[in-house]
Order: sequence, then C-alpha cells, then structure tokens
Amino acid sequence: MSTATGGDATRDVRMGRLERLPWRTIILVVLAVLILATIAIGAYRTLAEDAYSGDAWRDFIVLGLAQGAIYALIALGYTLVYGILRMINFAHGEVFMFGAFASYFFASAYSASGFLDRQPLLALTILLVVAMATSAGVAMLLERVAYRPLRGAPRLVPLITAIGASLFLQNTARGFFGASPRGYRKPELLQGSWTIFGGDVAKIRVVVLLTAALAVIALSLFVARTKTGRSMRAVAEDSEIASLMGVNVNGVIVTTFAIGGLLAGIAGVLYAMTFEQVNFFMGFQPGIAAFTAAVLGGIGSIAGAAIGGLSLGVLQALGPSLILTGYHIPSPFQLREAFTFLVLVLVLIFRPGGILGTGEAEKV
Amino acid sequence: MGPVGLRSAIAAGLVGAFASLYLALVGLTERFGDLELIGEQVTLGRVLLVVPPLVAGYVVTRPRVVAGERRIPTRVEAAFAGASTGAIAGAVFGAAVAFAEWFDVNRIREVFITVSPGLIEFVTFERGVAAGFVILVVIGVLGGAVGGALRASSPLVRTPIVLGASVAILLGLLQRIIPVAMRQLDLEPSVLYEVSGGLTIPAGVGVIAVTAGANVLWTRSGPRVRDRIRTSAREQPVARTAVLIVVLAVAAILPLLVGSVISEVLGTVMVFMLLGLGLNIVVGYAGLLDLGYVAFFAFGAYALALVTGATLNTTTGAAEPAFALGLNFYIGVWVVAALAAGVGLLIGAPVLRLRGDYLAIVTLGLGEIVSILTQSRWLQPFVGGLQGMRGITDGAIGGLSFRPPQNFYYLALAFVVLAVFVSWRLSASRIGRAWNAMREDEQVADAMGISTTKYKLLAFAMGGAIGSIGGALFAVKIGSLTPASFQILVSITALAVVILGGLGSIPGVVVGALVLIGLPGLLREFEEYRLLIYGGVLVAIMVLRPQGLVPNVRRTRELHEEEVEQDAWAKGVAEHEEAYATVVVGDTVVEEKRPE
Repeated sequence: MSTATGGDATRDVRMGRLERLPWRTIILVVLAVLILATIAIGAYRTLAEDAYSGDAWRDFIVLGLAQGAIYALIALGYTLVYGILRMINFAHGEVFMFGAFASYFFASAYSASGFLDRQPLLALTILLVVAMATSAGVAMLLERVAYRPLRGAPRLVPLITAIGASLFLQNTARGFFGASPRGYRKPELLQGSWTIFGGDVAKIRVVVLLTAALAVIALSLFVARTKTGRSMRAVAEDSEIASLMGVNVNGVIVTTFAIGGLLAGIAGVLYAMTFEQVNFFMGFQPGIAAFTAAVLGGIGSIAGAAIGGLSLGVLQALGPSLILTGYHIPSPFQLREAFTFLVLVLVLIFRPGGILGTGEAEKV
Repeated sequence: MGPVGLRSAIAAGLVGAFASLYLALVGLTERFGDLELIGEQVTLGRVLLVVPPLVAGYVVTRPRVVAGERRIPTRVEAAFAGASTGAIAGAVFGAAVAFAEWFDVNRIREVFITVSPGLIEFVTFERGVAAGFVILVVIGVLGGAVGGALRASSPLVRTPIVLGASVAILLGLLQRIIPVAMRQLDLEPSVLYEVSGGLTIPAGVGVIAVTAGANVLWTRSGPRVRDRIRTSAREQPVARTAVLIVVLAVAAILPLLVGSVISEVLGTVMVFMLLGLGLNIVVGYAGLLDLGYVAFFAFGAYALALVTGATLNTTTGAAEPAFALGLNFYIGVWVVAALAAGVGLLIGAPVLRLRGDYLAIVTLGLGEIVSILTQSRWLQPFVGGLQGMRGITDGAIGGLSFRPPQNFYYLALAFVVLAVFVSWRLSASRIGRAWNAMREDEQVADAMGISTTKYKLLAFAMGGAIGSIGGALFAVKIGSLTPASFQILVSITALAVVILGGLGSIPGVVVGALVLIGLPGLLREFEEYRLLIYGGVLVAIMVLRPQGLVPNVRRTRELHEEEVEQDAWAKGVAEHEEAYATVVVGDTVVEEKRPE
C-alpha cells in the first residue's frame, strides 16, 4: 500500500507517523502555514492601516450573525437529511426559495390591504405558517418523487438527481412566477433600528437572531424529547436495526424532510425580509452557504449546524474586509462568495469532521 | 373496474391532472399553443394537453400481481380503465380552468404570471368554459383509452405506433431546420412542410405510416440482420471500422448540407462534446463526481486568450492585459492543455481523500471560485473582469480563418476526434481498467495494488486537459470572452451530457451533446425552457434509466452476465426445490427426491 492513499490516509498517518512522514501531510502542513500567514498578515495590515472604524466592525459582526442565523436554519435541513440518509439534498436551497415566494404573495396582499401594519404580529405568524407549509410540502414532494425511488442506489445517483431537481425547481419557479425579482416589504414594526449597547442595530437583525434561536431550541427539544425525535435518532444510528425495532423508517424519513422544510420556510421569510426581495435564483447561494455551514459545524449535528451557520456568517462578513483589504485588493466584497467556497474547501481538506466533528476523514 | 382498482385510477388521474396543470402554469402549454406540428390543428400545445391523460392511462393499466399471479388486463379492460383515469385527469384539470375563470384570471396572474385570458382561451379551445370543460374531459377519455389500449397491446403493435407518432412530432418540431437543409440539397420543401408551419397533413400521415411500416419490417426481419451484424462486429473489426468511417464521413460533410446557422449550433455541440468527453473520464471512468468542471472550461478559454494575445475590454476602451504571450493557436492550445493538466493535479491533490458527495461539493466550490474570480476587479488587469476580453485568435492557417461557423466546425471536429480516440484507447488500457476498478470499489482496488492516488490524479489531469481544450475552442469560436459564459450551468450541462448518454460511454457523450445542446440550439423556442428540461432529464434518467441512453457496452455486458448467472442460479434452485422435498428427521434436515 502506498504512503497515503484515498480515504485511508488518516489511518496510514496514524500508523506510520513515527517511521516516516507521508508527503501528503507535509504538503498539508505547509499549505496550512501559508494560509494562516496570509490571514495573519492581511489582518495585521488592515488593522494597522485603520481602514475601518470600530462601528464598522461592529456592524460587520451583527450583519454576519444575522446572516449566519439564516444559514443555520437552512443548514439544519441539510444536517437532518444527511444524518438519516447520508445524502446531500442539493435541492434544499430551492425548498427555501419556494417558502419565501409563497409568503411573498401573502405579504404583498397584506401590504396592499394595510393588514401587515395594522396587525403585524398576526400577519407575520401567517406569513411564517404559509412559508413553512409550502417549504415542507415541496421537501416532501421532492423526497417522494426524486429520492425515494433511488434509496439504496449508488451514492452518486441521488446526488445527481438532487442537482437535477434543484435546476428543475429553480426553473419551475421561474416559469410560475417570472424571472424578475419582486420587492418584499417588511412591516413597519420591523423597520428602523434599536439602540443596543450604545449602537444602532437594525430591528430585523435582532428578530432574525431571536427567531432562529427559538427554532433551533425547539428542534433540539423535539429531537431529544419526543417519540418521533427518538425514532429519528434511531434511524440515523442504523436504519435497518431501527426498522427491526418497529420504527417506521419511511415515515421518519418523510418527517425529516418535512422538518427541514419547516425550518427552511422560516429562513425564507427572514431572508426575504432582510433583503426585501424574492427571486427564483435566491436559493442557490444561501443553499451552498448553508451546506458549507453544516459541514463547518460538523454535518449530522444540530448544534454543529447552528455554530457553523453563525461562524460562517461572521467569517463572510468579516473575512473579506479584514484580510483582503490588507492586500489592497479592489472591491473585497465581490469576493465574499468566493470566500465562502474557500472556507468550505479548506474545512473539507483539513477537518472534514467540522468544528464539532471527530476530525475523522472518512465521510464516504 | 376489472383489473385496475378505483383508488389507483383516481391517483393516476390526479397525477395526470396535476401534470397538465404544471405544464400550463410553467408556461409550456400556451407558449407552444400555436407551434403547428402537423397541419393546422395539431400544435405542440395541444399535444401537451393530450399527453398527461395518455400517460396516466398507460401507467394505470400496468400489469400487476394479483394473488401471486401476473394479471395483464385485456385490451378492452385496459381501454376502459385508461378512459376512466383520463376522464378524472381531464375533469380535474377542466375544473381548475373553470375555477380560474370564475375566480378572476388577472388576480391569479399576480401569482402565476402565465395564467392569462389567452391561456384559458387556448385550453378551452376558444369555446367558453363549459364547452371547454367537456372538451377536456373528452380529450382525457380518449387519451386515457388510447394509453390503456397501447399498454395492453403487444409490443409489435405498440412500438410502431408510438415510434411513428414521435418521429412525426420531431419532424414537425424541426420545421425551421429541415426545409433549409432540403433547399440546400435542391429539394422542394413544400413536399413535406407548410410554408410557415409544420408537416402538411398528407406528409404527417405519410411519415407515421413509413416509420411504423419500417419498424414492423425491422422487427420481422430484424433479428436475422441484427444477428449477422453482431457476429460480424465481434469477429471482424472491419465492420466496426466501416461504421466508424460512415459516421466520420457524415460528420465531415454535415456543415455543407445544413448551412451556416445550423453549423453554428453544431460548433457549440462540438465544444460541449469535448467537455463531455473530458468529464466522462473523471466521472464516467474514474467515478469522481466533479461539479466544478467549468473551472477547466474557463481556464482553457482565458489561458488561451493570454498565451495567444488578446485585448481587454474596459469602460474607457481597449487595453493590453498585464500578461500576454504571442503564441500561435496550435502551439498555445497544447500549452493551455498542459497547464490545465497541472491545474487538475493541483485541484486533485488536496481533495484526494474526499470521496463521493464531498468531492462533488468541493469541486463545485472550486468551480464557483473560478467563475467569481473571472468577474472580480482583482483579476481585472489580467482577464478583463465583467467587461471581459476580445480580439482572440481565430486559429487561422494561411489566411483560412476558423471563426466562420462552417470552418470552426472542422477545427472542433478534429479535436473531438482526437479526444474520442484518446478516451477510447484509455478506456481499453491498463489505466482504464484501473479507473474501472477504482470506481467500482476503491478499497478493493487499493488492496489489489492499484495506486488510487496516482490514478485519481491522472483522471483529474486528463479531464482537465480535455476540458481546457474545449474552453480554448470556445474562445476561438466566439472571439471574445465575458464571465457570463463561465457559470456553474456549464458544469451542470456537461454533467447532463455525460449522464444522458450513459456514464463511461463515448457514443453516449456524442448522443448526449447532440440531444442536449443540438436540439435546444435548433429549437430556439425551447431556449427559455432549456434548463428546466436539463433538470428534468437529470432526474428522469437517474430514476428511470441510470445507465443512460447509449450505455457503456462493457458495463452492460457485465450487468447482463450477472443477471444471466443469477437467473441460472434461481432456476437451478427452483428445479431443485421442485424435484426434492425437505423432510425433517429428528434434528437433521434431509432432502428426499419427490416421486415423479
């Protein structure tokens, strides 16, 4: 067996650490040092130049946290499905998009009739329910039509299907609702900002963070305390044994997709209100970012998705300005999404298990 | 309802109704409402109204096992069951149409932009809602009955009918293309086609009759001919060479036949054929799902522009890029390919230990990074940012420019033939077998002494090199580059090309590119639905026919042999069970031969 082959690299490393240094490890270490040095030098130069004020940094962080909270909600959908089926539901971003779109139609009607500002809490509740129901419906339909027939097929097959489903759903929305973006108005209640710790923070960001936190807590309780949650954990552990123990595996899988959809629906409303528009392509970037967040936190773990989402949000908001400004790269924010992907690639290369993961390379 | 339960009829009917509703809401029905296929009455939009109940009727009458017996409905039963199913489909769809009309079409349009008075008029055949409802139910009944009857008929009857209808529809769709080609050949198009429309009615009937007749003849005498071809192909490579020469000859004269508009489309097909061939090595041979293939495509295009010299577009006019070599295209393209192989190694090395879906996502990320970088202001001095580059070499030899579509086609064809040859030799070589082994089971391959590291890197390098040549040719073809051409959709399109044809199959890539790039390129009407169709194709192929349209021969043979062996084994077991009875004597199990 060669020094470092495929998925057995870590085992090899562990066994052979004393006798020989595998060349792959050397390359990785050098790469890691280079990356860390790049980050440190960039950050140092940015700070030394005083390119941004203290307020700007605080704004970046708040923005990042709010954005990260939305990523966390979507990431939960990836994580739950991955935990149970070991597959990446690539079309989850589109599930999120459909929820946002469905709530848009209610929001615009309520906005026109004035109901949105007269009864903001009731209206928001309805918007959330509509988005959650739609997203859950799309997720369940997706599972039934695209994934269930392929259960047990080689692993690339459902992934390719998921990519196809993603493209299909995206362009379905384009056909149904049109290609041009639509403005999404948030109620007056959520416009403007509050003063927190002596600085202005947009109300919507606070609401986003609180809603996301509530949703994550509710989900954790659901998975930890209820009977359905227990069956979900059982199926995630070993679906065959679970089915022998009387767990309805199919039912659990559908429930999992539905729960992922519910959370994506909440995220859809929050995202639409933050950016004040919806369009058919809006699911792609948050979908990938949320997947990155799930991997960053340790895929399969609920707390991991939450931590990964928040970390990625902050990294995205801070990273380009903190690191790239130091190198005088023009328009660092253009590279924000490239930064997301870079984080994803680096996490998968250096710590495939994620922050909360075990650090095991094997993710086959 | 005989062999079909009421519940499954209702379920299939509802699915049919939703399919009709989907087609209407997504805009296909009305968009193609006046696309005449045969005569003036058979439009694509109307075909789309008939197909859902027809398919519902076909599906609902599938043979099912009742009390351990395979129950195949008779033709009358099936027609009746199909008609009931189609009636449900038509009635539900008609009710939805009536509801839309009653509710207020303009308010529905605030949500579904395709719902318009025109759509309602179209689906009710301009006869008002009540009459329209009746018409839709009648269409459902007839479509469903035909679907059911087709299912219950023997394939000898079914195949010619379905084939004839499909060919007629396809020829009708190609109404802008075939007449042009016919004129090129000094044939009078009005023999087949209306002046501005699809096939004439006599031509349509003729096409259906000829196709069906040919199919019947082929099924009758086909087996003998097929056997002869098959044995000769196996025994004499001469036959295969002959087929190859015919294909090449057709490919060589194609642009002369079809004119420059279609040659332009064929050029794009060739570029994607190269991408498909390259991706086929990575995904089909080595089993590494690469979703960032656009990275190589973009690298090839921009690198070629830089090594052969090009101009940057800027808001204030043209500018020289910060880096430029003045190489000739025919040297530059190999430099680019070699560099891309190096990039493939660089990308491959750190992601080696990732497998399956993780690898897919990392490559997706790398692809996205490349396409974001092409737009960035950071690399603007090199690649022109959003404004892009122009003035790219046209690969001229002695004054013969390869920019015009008909000339470009030949340049691209040369590279495609080369890539096909390389792929073919690779798949038959030790390397190809190593990839095969690695794809089937990496750990076993590793245990057998195959260096998976080496072969993975080799796959990335080869795939990268071929993909970058595709990009370089693309740059030559259009002569200017903007980041809009290098989005993730390129990766997905290339993947769809490989998947549709069949993973690991070279003819599959050729067919996949022709169908997925050629057809939408020829049928401009479909342009806005191209991605919808790609998505649908990916899902449908994976669910219904994962081996693709033109499967890899070796793999099919392996699967087939396995099946034959399993069948033989199962048969053996059954015979054994029939012949012997199991008798338990005390604690031991004894088998006793049954009395005859």
